[in-house]
Amino acid sequence: MERGIGSGGAFAWFFQRISGAVLVLALLLHFWVLHYSNQGEVTFEIVAQRLATPVWKTIDLTFLVLAVIHGFWGFLMIVRDYVHSKNMRLFLVAAVWTVGLVIAVMGALTIIGFHPPLPVAPPEQLGGMVQ
Amino acid sequence: MQYTLRVYRYDPESGQPGRLVDYTVELEKGATVLDALGEIKAHQDGSLVYRRSCRSGICGSCAMKINGFNRLACETQVESLGRKPIHVEPLPGFKPIKDLVVDLEPFWNNLHRTLPWLINPNPPPTDKERPQSPEEFAWLEMPMTCILCASCTSSCPSFWADRTYLGPAALNKAFRYEFDTRDQGFGQRRDTLDNRHGLWRCHTIMNCNDCCPKHIRITEEISWLKRKVVEEKY
Repeated sequence: MERGIGSGGAFAWFFQRISGAVLVLALLLHFWVLHYSNQGEVTFEIVAQRLATPVWKTIDLTFLVLAVIHGFWGFLMIVRDYVHSKNMRLFLVAAVWTVGLVIAVMGALTIIGFHPPLPVAPPEQLGGMVQ
Repeated sequence: MQYTLRVYRYDPESGQPGRLVDYTVELEKGATVLDALGEIKAHQDGSLVYRRSCRSGICGSCAMKINGFNRLACETQVESLGRKPIHVEPLPGFKPIKDLVVDLEPFWNNLHRTLPWLINPNPPPTDKERPQSPEEFAWLEMPMTCILCASCTSSCPSFWADRTYLGPAALNKAFRYEFDTRDQGFGQRRDTLDNRHGLWRCHTIMNCNDCCPKHIRITEEISWLKRKVVEEKY
C-alpha cells in the first residue's frame, strides 16, 4: 500500500465540501452586492469605496483564498487520477502549485494594497495641465 | 426472429488484436443475450469463450458490455436492446484473457483488502447469535444483494485510471460490514479506506449505480463511508 505524502485524503475531501459550500454563498453575496444592492449605476467610485473598507477586503480575501485552494486542489486531483508518468506528474504538480500561489499572492496584493484614488477633477478645472 | 450479434473475439495465441465478428442467430421471443451466445457456441463457432453458470442473475458470472453498458447477459433480453446489431464485448478495465473472459484478479485482490468478513473479538452475548433489530438490519439489506459480477468496478472511470483503487464493489462490501452493528473492524479497515487508492478516489461519477444489476446505490454507500471516516477523524 502506497503511503506517504498525499496519502489519506479525508481532510482534503472534507475541506473541498466546506469550501465549496462557502464559495456558493460567497458567490451569491458577490452577485447580490454587485448587481442588485445598488439600484443606481455601477460606477468606479462606488466600487472603489466598497473595496476600500476592511470588511469588504476581508470578504474578498476569504473568497480568493477559498477559490484558489478549491480550484487548484481540483486540478491536483485530476493530475493524480490521470497522469501516471512520474516526471510529468512532478512537473504538473509543481506547475499547479506555482500558478496557484502566484494567483493567490497577486490577488492578495491587489485586495490589500487597494486604496481609492483621489477624486478625479473634470478637465476644465485642471487648466493647462491636460492637453 | 433473427438477430445479429457483433461479438468481440480475441485469441491471445494468435498474436492478433481483438476484433468484432458478426453472427446471425434465430431466437425465440424472450431470449436473452446469454441464450444467443449459447446458440452461437452450439451451432456456429464452438471456440467462443464466455463465463456463465446459473443463467438466472444470481452467480454474477456473465457480466459483459452489451451495447455499451455493463449488464448480465442472462438478464438482458435481446428484444429490449435498441441498437442493432447487438454489440457484445468483455468488461472494460480488465485485461482480456480470451474473447469475453477477462482477468478478474485485481477485482478479487481489491475485495480482499477491505477484509469483507465480520470482525468482532468479543464472543456472542447469548453464545448462539449476535442479535440485531430489523432497523439495524435494514442498513445491510441493499449491500448484501451484491453478486460480485464486477459490472460496477468495470464501469468506474476512477478504476480505469487507477487499478489499485478499491472500486465500487469492494467499497460496497466495506459498507456492508462497516455499517453492521455487530462489526468492530473499523480500526483494521481504516487505512485501506482512508487512502488515496481508497474512498477518496471516488468522484461520485455514479456509473456503478447505473449498471448494477441488483440496483444497489453504491455511490450513496461510498458517501456514507466517507462521512464515517471524516466523523471519526475530526
